[in-house]
Amino acid sequence: MCATGSLPLAARVIAQRLPALATMANGLRRCPWHTLVTAALFVTCGLRAEDAVPDAEKLKFFEQKVRPLLIDNCLKCHNEKKQKANLRMETLAGFLKGGDTGPAIVPGKPAESLLVKAVSYKDEDLFMPPKDKLTGDGGKMAAEDIATLTEWVQMGAPWTEGSSLAGEHKRRHITEADKKFWSFVPVKDAPPPAVTDAWVKNDIDKFIFAKLKAEEIAPSPEAEKAALIRRATYDLHGLPPTPEEVDAFVADTSPDAYEKLVDRLLASPRYGERWGRHWLDLVRFAESDGFKQDAFRPNAWPYRDYVIKAFNDDKPYDRFVTEQLAGDEIAPDDPDVLVATSYLRQSMYEYNQRDVPKQWSEYLNDITDVTGDVFLGLGMGCARCHDHKFDPILQSDYFQLQAFFSGILPRNDMVLATPKQKEEHAAKMKIWEEKTADIRAEIAAIEKPFLDRVAKPALSKFPPETREMIEKPADKRSPYECQIAELAYRQVTEEQRQIDGKIKGADREKWTAAKRKLAEFDDVKPKPLPPAFIATDVGPVGPPAIIPGDKKKRTFEPGFLTILGAEVPQISALPNSTGRRTALAKWITRPDNPLAARVMVNRIWQYHFGRGIASNTSDFGKLGEKPTHPELLDYLAANFVKNGWSIKKIHRLMMTSATYRQSGVQPTPAVAKLKDPDNRWLWRMTTRRLDAEQIRDAMLAVSGELSLDAGGPSVDFIAPRRGVFTKALRNTRDPFNEAFDGADGITTTPSRSTTTTPTQSLLLINGGWPLQRAENFAARLRNMKVKDNEQLVTQAYRLAFGRMPDAAERAAALKFLTRKSSETAPGAEPGGVMLSDKIVTEAMPHRGSQAIHVRNGNPEDMLRAADTPALPSEDFTVEAVVQLDSIYDDAKVRVIASQWSGNQAHTGWSFGVTSEKSKHEPRNLILQLVGKESYEVIPSDLRVELNKTFYLAVSVKLADTSAAGITFFLRDLTDPDAPLRTANVPHKTTGGYHSKLPLTIGGRDGHGWDGLIDEVRLSKAALTKEQILLNDPDLKTNVVADWRFDENPGVLKDSAGYQPDLTRGGPGKPQPPKANDNFLIDFCHVLLNANEFLYVE
Amino acid sequence: MSGLKQAGIPHHELPATRRDFLAKAGAGFGSLALTYLLGGKTLSADEAAAAVNPLAPKKGHYAGKAKSVIFLFMEGGPSALDTFDPKPKLNELAGKPLPGSFGPVITAMGEYGAPLMASKRTWKQHGQSGIWVSDWLPHTASVIDDIAVIRSCIADGINHSGGVCQMNTGSVLAGRPSLGSWVTYGLGSENQNLPAFVVMQDNPTQVINGTRNWGAGFMPAVYQGTRLQNGPDPIPNLMTPKNVGDERQKAKLDFLNDMNRKHMATHDQSELDARILSYELAFRMQAEAPGVVDLEKETEATKDLYGMNDKVTSEFGRMCLMSRRLVERGVRFVQLYSGAGSKWDAHSGLEKNHSGLCASMDKPIAGLIKDLKSRGLLDSTLVVWGGEFGRTPMSEKGDGRDHNPYGFTMWMAGGGVKGGQVIGETDEIGLHAVKDRLHVHDIHATILHLLGVDHARLTYMHKGRPERATINEGEIYKKISG
Repeated sequence: MCATGSLPLAARVIAQRLPALATMANGLRRCPWHTLVTAALFVTCGLRAEDAVPDAEKLKFFEQKVRPLLIDNCLKCHNEKKQKANLRMETLAGFLKGGDTGPAIVPGKPAESLLVKAVSYKDEDLFMPPKDKLTGDGGKMAAEDIATLTEWVQMGAPWTEGSSLAGEHKRRHITEADKKFWSFVPVKDAPPPAVTDAWVKNDIDKFIFAKLKAEEIAPSPEAEKAALIRRATYDLHGLPPTPEEVDAFVADTSPDAYEKLVDRLLASPRYGERWGRHWLDLVRFAESDGFKQDAFRPNAWPYRDYVIKAFNDDKPYDRFVTEQLAGDEIAPDDPDVLVATSYLRQSMYEYNQRDVPKQWSEYLNDITDVTGDVFLGLGMGCARCHDHKFDPILQSDYFQLQAFFSGILPRNDMVLATPKQKEEHAAKMKIWEEKTADIRAEIAAIEKPFLDRVAKPALSKFPPETREMIEKPADKRSPYECQIAELAYRQVTEEQRQIDGKIKGADREKWTAAKRKLAEFDDVKPKPLPPAFIATDVGPVGPPAIIPGDKKKRTFEPGFLTILGAEVPQISALPNSTGRRTALAKWITRPDNPLAARVMVNRIWQYHFGRGIASNTSDFGKLGEKPTHPELLDYLAANFVKNGWSIKKIHRLMMTSATYRQSGVQPTPAVAKLKDPDNRWLWRMTTRRLDAEQIRDAMLAVSGELSLDAGGPSVDFIAPRRGVFTKALRNTRDPFNEAFDGADGITTTPSRSTTTTPTQSLLLINGGWPLQRAENFAARLRNMKVKDNEQLVTQAYRLAFGRMPDAAERAAALKFLTRKSSETAPGAEPGGVMLSDKIVTEAMPHRGSQAIHVRNGNPEDMLRAADTPALPSEDFTVEAVVQLDSIYDDAKVRVIASQWSGNQAHTGWSFGVTSEKSKHEPRNLILQLVGKESYEVIPSDLRVELNKTFYLAVSVKLADTSAAGITFFLRDLTDPDAPLRTANVPHKTTGGYHSKLPLTIGGRDGHGWDGLIDEVRLSKAALTKEQILLNDPDLKTNVVADWRFDENPGVLKDSAGYQPDLTRGGPGKPQPPKANDNFLIDFCHVLLNANEFLYVE
Repeated sequence: MSGLKQAGIPHHELPATRRDFLAKAGAGFGSLALTYLLGGKTLSADEAAAAVNPLAPKKGHYAGKAKSVIFLFMEGGPSALDTFDPKPKLNELAGKPLPGSFGPVITAMGEYGAPLMASKRTWKQHGQSGIWVSDWLPHTASVIDDIAVIRSCIADGINHSGGVCQMNTGSVLAGRPSLGSWVTYGLGSENQNLPAFVVMQDNPTQVINGTRNWGAGFMPAVYQGTRLQNGPDPIPNLMTPKNVGDERQKAKLDFLNDMNRKHMATHDQSELDARILSYELAFRMQAEAPGVVDLEKETEATKDLYGMNDKVTSEFGRMCLMSRRLVERGVRFVQLYSGAGSKWDAHSGLEKNHSGLCASMDKPIAGLIKDLKSRGLLDSTLVVWGGEFGRTPMSEKGDGRDHNPYGFTMWMAGGGVKGGQVIGETDEIGLHAVKDRLHVHDIHATILHLLGVDHARLTYMHKGRPERATINEGEIYKKISG
């Protein structure tokens, strides 16, 4: 509910408290208004000292000081249409008559005047003007304004006779409060808060830290280096860092490694390609007309390249602004500057719009809007039709700004060349012209009647006023008429251009012959100079701006915003230009313009941090959010100007702050999340989704296809060049642009949305283009000639995510790559060993729990777990509950568990039972242990019996090479009274036995179990008798994995802590099998769909 | 989150994610937040989807009869003078120049000097209401009592681009969200497994201005329309690529899901959650959408009703039937283009052009109305018919008509519209609307009103301005409901 809703009640209360006033009001209400005025004046007469003030002075005081205050603060709710509390305040009579609670003022008696009481905010039942919850407008007036009103009442409420404020509330007046609004006050170059904290790295951090401290939120520590280089590279280049770049940065331990990284990134041409794109978003750059025809603009790209180069060259921002607004005025002969005025050509344009004046007015509106948005951060659009309702922008401000542009003419007849190039070209042209004069005359003569025939109906399509302008001799046209006539006539020329099909009969033969003759001189004809897609002024005199359909027919000359002082522009006309735009650029980039620098540094901040310090980067008005750190914004703005408007210096300042370098993950985020869930105080780095071009470019970069060819005419979407170089058509957007909130090139895009839609997911997972990238990514990995799947996975992670996979990720990936699938394409290399469909499980006799059945060393029945650092590399214990069905005829080992290739040259261990021809006798429980320099078989001389359930274990204390070093345990579980047997054996290996091969259960290469295995428990310590499975089945300490093969938690799941599940299949060869090609593509495709790929921390 | 926000509230933004939602909702917000805060249980998939999904169904400002809209867009501009707005005077004056009394107009092709052209149609009154319909539309005439014919529409665009743009977005200039986007923004969708806003066209030629006709303009892309194509892959990228196959696809998605969940465990940011859900949504869409476009389950009688068994009407009939199936499943806004690529643009040869196009859409549209009615869906489905403008009484090239945005006919049926009424009038020759003029903004305001949305209160903050579908204009034509 609006705050004013409470007024009647409040007013009633006051009326009760002030019966005298109420009575008086009732009495007065019966008087005609002129009597009232007289009475009021009479009341004041002779009573006050202010009598001494002459009436003229009083009226001036009223007009200059009081009237605007009343209009701004009172009239919205107390006017001819709307009378809160039955009070009207547009006339003195209204004040005196008052409302429900009596007269609003008692002239000469501020103390008795409700108005004074209300605006003073003394009586909480009567706070006026109320605060508008919607807009934040209103609220208690400034002290001096209250004083003004009080003084006015004191003076006896002077009022210009017969004057009414009726209707004036619709007009905006610039008030003192407006002038004090944060974005309009001068930039304060104040020193940062005095903060000392180890976290602080530069001045930015002092501002951020001070605020965080006040909020009692802790900032986050610095991100890990891999995350930091990824963030910085995406930010500055829009691309992921290469694995080599990550390695180099991680390896660089010099104290300024990070600063060097920022400098390297800023110096690369990739930087301009990324940051140029931000600017192109703002100026709604596109390469088509946007209407029915949506004609391609083949000459739009040089502006794109200009913008990229400007960023790469660190062109001072004030110069950058000036060149775009007025490049033609400041350096008409420099093609590198002239091209910048392509800024004036970015509007959509309908080539055959018959209502030329209307389209021209829309064109100018568009430039006005975008100029307000981009350079001033002010949404001017509202003021096109009326004074801005919320911001101090008058309709006249809008059209005065437009007047800087109202003299322009879009040019299609200019070239981007130096005077010298033009001269040379003209000289060659002259030769060609001389040689071809006769032929061309002949052609012209043939064409003339046809051209005339086309022109007449083409002209007749325009309304009479437009036709008149065209038909007027050029020197008689006003500048405005020149513009309209020129633009309209282009439609005629366009139709004439299609004359080819219209020349018929004998004429055609003659015409074709002449054309052929002309073509013979083509080798003398110089190549055309690059056409310029720019605008200049129509001449040294430009028309004023007008409001279409304005009944008052007002005209507007160039003028600066009233709120910023309304100083009269100093415009000096040039020979061919009005000079207006130079004046505008000069004003925008004046060091004391409070908007330009603030707006630009705020944009830079936004692109680095995901949100501007003032979050609505193109709206520094009242409806935009106020800056979270206004002092910081000013500090940066001042710094920007002081440093010669260098954008790169601002990047460096921002990026070397601790604020920017924060991790995206706050170790203890509870408080911060509660107090500041949106991260407005920047207690961590916000994780951000890549934008449309970044996703596209990153996919190409990761797949190894990205071409870094820079500049030149735009290419189709499918070309593997950076997104900034692909054609930007308005009516047909590319799929990534459309799905991932790209800029539409129609209106300015100050920040990209980041929506999350199923359409995006469908595009990424089913779309042909991403799938092709995955295929090429897979091919790239193949070509890296990696040793094995593990390396394949590692490289893939490095390329896609800029980091190594952890053990669990590697294991999951390996599992994915080598899984069994019915869809394995014929001829494709199968992933791992072919497996049957089911794991064979059985109940273990005498124990009742579920066991896996390994059938005579069948690799299909074996299980494996990828190596992780969790697996033992020092002391360890392996335990198992088993039943052995048979032993080998030869010397092979019935292996229970192992992490070894079987090759004595490879490190590892293997735990099992000997067979018939073993030199250690059959059915002997043994451990094979291979260190870096030793291979040994450690027999227990404890014998396992066939077809009986046994608990068996080996506990290894590496350092102790005495007999106490290794203990074997064995117990027959079929006999409740059977003893636990132990054996102690010495060993030689004291370390270095760890293998990176997967751990396998049920066998290793060529050496497999036969029978049941119920439970395998692996610990990274030499367990004591008290700790072993038989005595402490729920032991947690040092237990790495406990595979029980039960339905719960799952046959392949571990009950202790080893995260990746077991997978099926034996150990394979020392080099694990090659991944199935399709699965590798799928794996790559998943990486390109992953959140870690699409988001940067 | 019941009801829509009030006008003018800056930053009318939907919580983008579950966590945002919970953060913004605060403790007083009821069971959802409370459950979460107490940690008693995690959100169910539906709850989470509602919290992260900007397309979750929302209530209007007040109860509206219409729940869905089917907008039949005759692209290129059908002639009112030969369909719904008979002008005997025009036939009287045929061959003469436009009398000065009708005032000057700017036309696209500048044919103001051309003589007036008679309508060659035979006209009859139809139904209980006795509304005049020309012989080009016998089937539409048969359901005229369900239709409110608006003869007094006006628009600003004199060219197709501006006209189509305005009829879709309210402005002749590009950049604003289309009406379908506004409706989905305001009301969400009743079906989360299908796009909320669906567009179809009767031939592959690009509709003027391309996809931005159903674009979300300055709103997030989530509100943009989705073009439903004919064939087995109705939505781009809907189906698993053939060379991948279901098993691999499933393995990929499972693997992706594991990877994303692991990533989220360390990067607890809301959007990541939403993206995981978006894959789930995408695949529910993949499951449901093919069923919708599979018309084989419809009876022969139904197919006949829509003219699907006749070559002339089969394409538009298919689209109309599909529309019924979509609104039946809760899709919010369906737009069908007849004559995609300005085919109705009869600058010459009006007779041949319009007779063909009328025949192609007349029976299907009447079938749609009848079918919706018999299924009890017409009350909740607003059907809108029209083009970006009409055509001039003046001739062009002897046997055609130029663009006329100054007075043209549209019609509405169902969704709270009182059928069998004629609204507004054009002048004696059908050049200018003269009575009860309904500007495009008024038409949009009325459509929103019928859906229970107050056009003045449905706002979206853009660049510091509370934007409305009707650009701060538009009046609801309440009499349309009788």
